[in-house]
Amino acid sequence: MTMTPDPPPRGQVSRRSFLQTMGVSAAAAAVQAQAERADAAQPSSAPTTLSGPGPIEITLNVNGSDRRLTIDPATTLMEALRWHAGLTGTKEVCDRAACGTCSVLIDGRLVNSCMMLAYDAQGSRVTTIEGLARPGSLDPIQESFIRHDALQCGYCTPGLILASKALLGANPRPTLDQIKKGLAGNICRCGTYTNVFNAVLDASGQSPLMDSEAPDA
Amino acid sequence: MRDHTPTDMPTRNRPMNRGASLADDASRLDAVAKVTGAAKYARDMYPADCLFVGFVRCPVGSGQLAARDEAAARAVPGVLEVEIERDEGRYHGQPVGHIVAESKTALRRAMRALDARWTPGPCSVEIEQAAGEPPQTQGDIAQLLERAQHVLDATYETPVQTHSPLETHGGMAIHHGDRAELFSSTQGTSAAADGIEDQFGLPRAACEIHCEYVGGGFGSKLNGAGREGAIAARMSAKYRRPVSCFTDRDEDHLDTGNRPSSRARVRIGFQADGTVLGGHIHTWGGVGVARGGGGCAIPSNHYDLGRIQKTSEDVQLNAGAPRPFRAPGWPQGKFAEELMLDEICAACGLDPVEMRLRLERSDDRRDMIRTGARLIGWNQRRPNGSGGAIRRGFGLGTTDWPRFPRQAEAEVIVNRDGSVEVRTGTQDIGTGMRTVAGVLAADRLGCGLERVNVRIGHSSLPPGPGSGGSMTSHNTAPAIIEAALQARNALLDAVGDRLGIPPDELSIQNDHLIHDQEPMMDWAEACAKLPRDAVIGRASSDTPQSQRHVGEGHSQGVQFVDLRVDTQTGIVHVDRIIAIQSCGQVVMRKGAESQIIGGVIQGVSYALFEHKIHDKATGTMVNPNLEWYKILGSADMPRIEPVLWTKGQTGVRSLGEPPTIPTAGAIACAVFNAIGRPVRSLPITPDKVLAALEGGGR
Ligand code: FES
Ligand code: FES
Repeated sequence: MTMTPDPPPRGQVSRRSFLQTMGVSAAAAAVQAQAERADAAQPSSAPTTLSGPGPIEITLNVNGSDRRLTIDPATTLMEALRWHAGLTGTKEVCDRAACGTCSVLIDGRLVNSCMMLAYDAQGSRVTTIEGLARPGSLDPIQESFIRHDALQCGYCTPGLILASKALLGANPRPTLDQIKKGLAGNICRCGTYTNVFNAVLDASGQSPLMDSEAPDA
Repeated sequence: MRDHTPTDMPTRNRPMNRGASLADDASRLDAVAKVTGAAKYARDMYPADCLFVGFVRCPVGSGQLAARDEAAARAVPGVLEVEIERDEGRYHGQPVGHIVAESKTALRRAMRALDARWTPGPCSVEIEQAAGEPPQTQGDIAQLLERAQHVLDATYETPVQTHSPLETHGGMAIHHGDRAELFSSTQGTSAAADGIEDQFGLPRAACEIHCEYVGGGFGSKLNGAGREGAIAARMSAKYRRPVSCFTDRDEDHLDTGNRPSSRARVRIGFQADGTVLGGHIHTWGGVGVARGGGGCAIPSNHYDLGRIQKTSEDVQLNAGAPRPFRAPGWPQGKFAEELMLDEICAACGLDPVEMRLRLERSDDRRDMIRTGARLIGWNQRRPNGSGGAIRRGFGLGTTDWPRFPRQAEAEVIVNRDGSVEVRTGTQDIGTGMRTVAGVLAADRLGCGLERVNVRIGHSSLPPGPGSGGSMTSHNTAPAIIEAALQARNALLDAVGDRLGIPPDELSIQNDHLIHDQEPMMDWAEACAKLPRDAVIGRASSDTPQSQRHVGEGHSQGVQFVDLRVDTQTGIVHVDRIIAIQSCGQVVMRKGAESQIIGGVIQGVSYALFEHKIHDKATGTMVNPNLEWYKILGSADMPRIEPVLWTKGQTGVRSLGEPPTIPTAGAIACAVFNAIGRPVRSLPITPDKVLAALEGGGR
């Protein structure tokens, strides 16, 4: 925690205003992918009741069941999931919409949970990585990530899997280009992208990228 | 839910690597835990009652802490401790104190309430602000340069790169009164135990280190438990509550190490026919407040460059200290060396592949260069600077990594129920080490990989090396192999005894006990014949028995790049990279391919994007985040084809560092080929490309 200029207090920065403060020249694809998520994260109508400043009770529907949590009102959805609900498959990496590692699905749409107040997620269906597999079987995209070794340290993996799931939900047979753009909001530092593309291609019934045959000597 | 990773998941999309490894189709043993979110990293631990520690840090390159309000910070609800230890700072991000609070939210509020005010002082943050002159060129070299038909006099620069592992640095400590535990995000489980007893105030034997999963490291977590783990341990002893201390993303950029910036001044003499005579190479490394660590590996010794005088200087700056970063000194050195060679080629009208085949010292690598040239389609390469608005370029670079012997120990236990346990105190930071250990044991035992549980990442295990210098696999392998052979022999002795068959007539293959070339029973039935609960093999890597398994092999490689440059925007678009790499006996194909791909991606990112930028006036890092500190993302991805080179490789060798060494150099060469002018400064951003095209250039 540095003493450089304070961020605006949590909850006052909408993802839209955040993007405006970033200017226009940032890496276009990534920012655009984030912006598309931003729209998904906008609550449809502003809450009208006043909560806080002390701890508040909220109810979140996570992975199909309701969880009552007592939280500080400034708690983001990411923090509520990790600190209060024990669902640490949702990772914290940048805490400011730059990496996609905290991705969750809200009513099936991809959202960076670090950019949404837990309070605002009430009334929606939240799906985290822990909620993807069914008893006895992994989701096909999880199987495909394993088959193609689309994971190394694994820290970005939950976010990339959920982003892939959301992509395939919207576009069941994406081209390589669409996959690259669709996952542009998720950073992987270990460098698994090649195998992530293969995993998504495979999970959507398409052939993975074919590498060269040995050249004739 | 499946709790065991399927060990047989074939893929068919890398035909050149078929049959390259001991376990071509095996997946990572920890894959299910990682794809379901079940894997718990140290940063994922939030026990009830947990306290959080945050560091108060200097916000400028040098300065005095002029004012602060500790009372206000202490008054924030949930704050237990505010301590300022010093009131001056020498770099942005330097810790000057800490705060302990009951929640992260309280910690943030206390930081704000502390209202630290700093008076900035003078500082230097770039090499050119503080570098000395190169020492004099020695007499014989000066004469050589006089006599040479041509001299290339050029300066190559690289930026500071931060490791940026996605799990930041830190640890979570729990003090139980008479014993204690530290969950550490470290590259050295054994090293994290060193000295932690002093922080906990307990005997060493009472302190446990857990390191099951680590969210990346790349060298920056080779410092044991680190400052963060140490203070977590100390505070847990003080408050008798669990304590978590992890850096936030900005702090991770500032004070958890980096690849230092570098400059290489090259004066090299050569003849018109391309004969390189030698010269003087002076390098500077910007080591921040550290005293050393700024080495820059040029010349690399891959090529015969004649007589070289090499001198260097570590330049102290008002900036965070470096730490080892995936091949310390190498990517920066190879960037300068490969581009320098292509500049000489251009002056002599030589083809860069031809030139390297001439200068290359390794026969293996010469073969790799020929193969790579065919795979990338080198014959499509046009003279430098050819084409219209969009220009294509080709380049190549070479890599090499030695073996660093270290001691490692391992145990292999075969249980009567047929399960197998491999125990060694190393860790898997994403390298695939857990699976490598399992495959090696299963291979020597003859049983199926699905029977093997690998226990790593705990201080009670036989000590293993840190995950650094690409030393883990090749040092643990001989110990694991020897321990597995011992366990196997003990199993055969015991089972032979029960069956009345001499053990030397028995063997184990494909998960079956074999006698007279015929399978007698499967592995589990054979194990059920054990007269006791288990048989155990134990080995240390440095015994003569283990050393028999070191084998032959050498980590070497070549990378070829095919890219396009838009001469109107200056944007470089990398289309394809062929990465040929040897690493000894490949243990698991998919993991090896991933290591290569990951190294290449980090190299592309280093070549084109990454740059820790300090404001020269204040010394403040201006991009301590992931939106302005740009790391390569999926939209920037080239096709990357990893090629495992197995000729003559019998023993396990290194694979972590070598694939990231040549990438930036190969890209710089390809950009030079495309635009006809060298961009001698990383990252190769559009402004530099445009400046080079306009003839300014750097
Ligand atoms: S942690 Fe939410 S986007 Fe990075
Ligand atoms: S696997 Fe480590 S960050 Fe993606």
